[in-house]
Amino acid sequence: MKVTLEVKPRRKPYLPIEAEGIMPRTFFEGADGLTVYRGNKELALEEIFSVAIEGEAASVDEVAIEILGDSSRIKRIGEYMDGGRIHIAGDIGMHCGNFMSAGEIVIDGNADAWLGREMRGGAIRCHGNAGDYCGAGYRGEKRGMRGGTVEVLGDAGDFAAETLAGGTVIIHGNAGDLAGVDMKDGVLTIMGETWRACANMSGGTCYVHGTVHDMIPTFRNVGRETVGGEVFTRFAGDIANRGKGTLFIRNYKYMD
Amino acid sequence: MKHYDVVCPFCGCLCDDLEITVENNRIIGVDNGCTLGNAKFMGKERLSSPIRRNGDGWETISYEEAVGYTVDMLLEADRPLLYGWSGTHGEAQCTGVHMCELVGGIIDSTTSVCHGPSILAIQEVGHPGCTLGRVKNRADVVIYWGCNPLEAHPRHMSRYTTYADGYFLDNAFRERKVIVVDVRKTETARVADEFVRIKPGGDYAVLSALRAIVRGKGDMVPASVAGVSRSQLERMVAMCKDAKFGAVFFGLGLTMTKGKYKNIRNAIELVDELSRHTKFTITPMRGHWNVYGSNEVFTWMTGYPYAIDFCRGIAFYNPGETSAIDILARKECDACLIVGSDPGAHFPRGCAEHLADIPVVVIDPVPTMTTAFANVQIPVAVSGIDAEGTAYRMDGVPIRVKKVIEPTLPSDSEVLGDIFARMKEATGYD
Repeated sequence: MKVTLEVKPRRKPYLPIEAEGIMPRTFFEGADGLTVYRGNKELALEEIFSVAIEGEAASVDEVAIEILGDSSRIKRIGEYMDGGRIHIAGDIGMHCGNFMSAGEIVIDGNADAWLGREMRGGAIRCHGNAGDYCGAGYRGEKRGMRGGTVEVLGDAGDFAAETLAGGTVIIHGNAGDLAGVDMKDGVLTIMGETWRACANMSGGTCYVHGTVHDMIPTFRNVGRETVGGEVFTRFAGDIANRGKGTLFIRNYKYMD
Repeated sequence: MKHYDVVCPFCGCLCDDLEITVENNRIIGVDNGCTLGNAKFMGKERLSSPIRRNGDGWETISYEEAVGYTVDMLLEADRPLLYGWSGTHGEAQCTGVHMCELVGGIIDSTTSVCHGPSILAIQEVGHPGCTLGRVKNRADVVIYWGCNPLEAHPRHMSRYTTYADGYFLDNAFRERKVIVVDVRKTETARVADEFVRIKPGGDYAVLSALRAIVRGKGDMVPASVAGVSRSQLERMVAMCKDAKFGAVFFGLGLTMTKGKYKNIRNAIELVDELSRHTKFTITPMRGHWNVYGSNEVFTWMTGYPYAIDFCRGIAFYNPGETSAIDILARKECDACLIVGSDPGAHFPRGCAEHLADIPVVVIDPVPTMTTAFANVQIPVAVSGIDAEGTAYRMDGVPIRVKKVIEPTLPSDSEVLGDIFARMKEATGYD
């Protein structure tokens, strides 16, 4: 089954649309009467999107959703997704792939904040940049993302992989401030630069192939180590938190 | 006529020992107040009737018309923002929450631009706090971090810390040690026993280093952390460990700098670590009068302390997404009601530009910078001067505030109650 949703022009284009119903299982089970929210107004899906559905599916994994047009203010696409595929041709709004447990989301453009929040499984690949809290948790939550993979080919904002508790986050560009803060488990890889990586971490592993600026002063330098042909400095910490995390860094600078 | 034990309506200290002299229903004298509080009591630039924008100018309208405009604006909006609430009393804040739920809007207080990060941190690791009375009577070490009470909360040190008598201290002034941590030598830093000057953005690193030193891991801390020598950090830890009772107060220098709520979390975890050796507490220096009250009222009514989105009919909370600055900067609301605060003076330019593009109603006793963006302003009585109500002090103690003159204008509660009644009538809400 192929579902094509093209975003229509809106009179108030900046007001966000909340569309957590847009995921493969909804269309597999029949999306008649599916609604989305523009602020406090509940609207039929067709008021916001031009909808085209072709073919049938024997399982949720055979459902592919294509989102076209300006979807930069469409929130919660793929929330609780448990199979199938979503392809977003442009940018996507906040909370894309919240809590997803299986399936694949591919974003050709940029993703707004909280991409893959508290994700349990599946894969998200963002070809542009990701906003703040990529692969992170919710407010006050002790454990964030717990499984699956988030891959960002551009840069990520601040607090990427905050409270990471499982799974893999890969950022090919730079990551903003406090990447991997309070992380507990899982693997975070940053190919570019970042700031104050893995502050207060208690577990898990982080690789930074670029430079960590304003390095947190409470990590213990374990020594040089070669990983995948690259030489890293290995740190253990965060000691301030009795942490048992591991941090591999190519270059680092303290704020002294 | 003289009124005694009057509560000041300015900052989060809610000093309750003011003496106000009134003649012919006018305040002519304020005793015991600080400069800021005196100015509020003696202010004369009150608006006398509602005003509506008319082309390039303003026209006077009736309360009936102003309330009608507000009701229509809120009911027609897809995503109205109800912002402010720190300059008003708890009873008005209650009505604001009911209104927001009815229209399906977003309600946020000035918390989101001051101590919102403190609350996020508390939600992560809890709050080892206490009342100001306990600090006054017991604290022999006081830390002011990223705040400058001598200028922002002028009576804080004289009522609760440095210059106050303490029941369990023989000579409070000499026994109390004051540590100030800041990026510049403020007036408060000049009276400190120890001034720790850190580089801007270095708070988190210094807090982490202190935690490691408290835990006996000081040997691995670099010789200098964010401009502070390890020896000074060790001296600071020694002072804290030697304390019988320590109190940390922190301000926007910690909440609104790089790292935001993670700075506060780190500070709370330092206090937690110190409490393994002695007794330590931590308290935010809340600024705008009843901003703490807005958190209390919102929490008991919605489950969340600020930045609450009722658009879907249930409360959703996610500062960064549902907080006023983020919503305005992203142009994600289509009407705004502002009560008892002045975002025009404090918000970024992009937010002000959006306020200028959408219908805005301001409920405030005086013309402010926000008036420049308003379509209608409704003047009200000032809580604590000509209106009564309940407000919360920075340590979470609720205090009933009196009026000292008879009102000539309705209170926030009365105006908001009228708006809410008209909204219920228009929607058939029971």
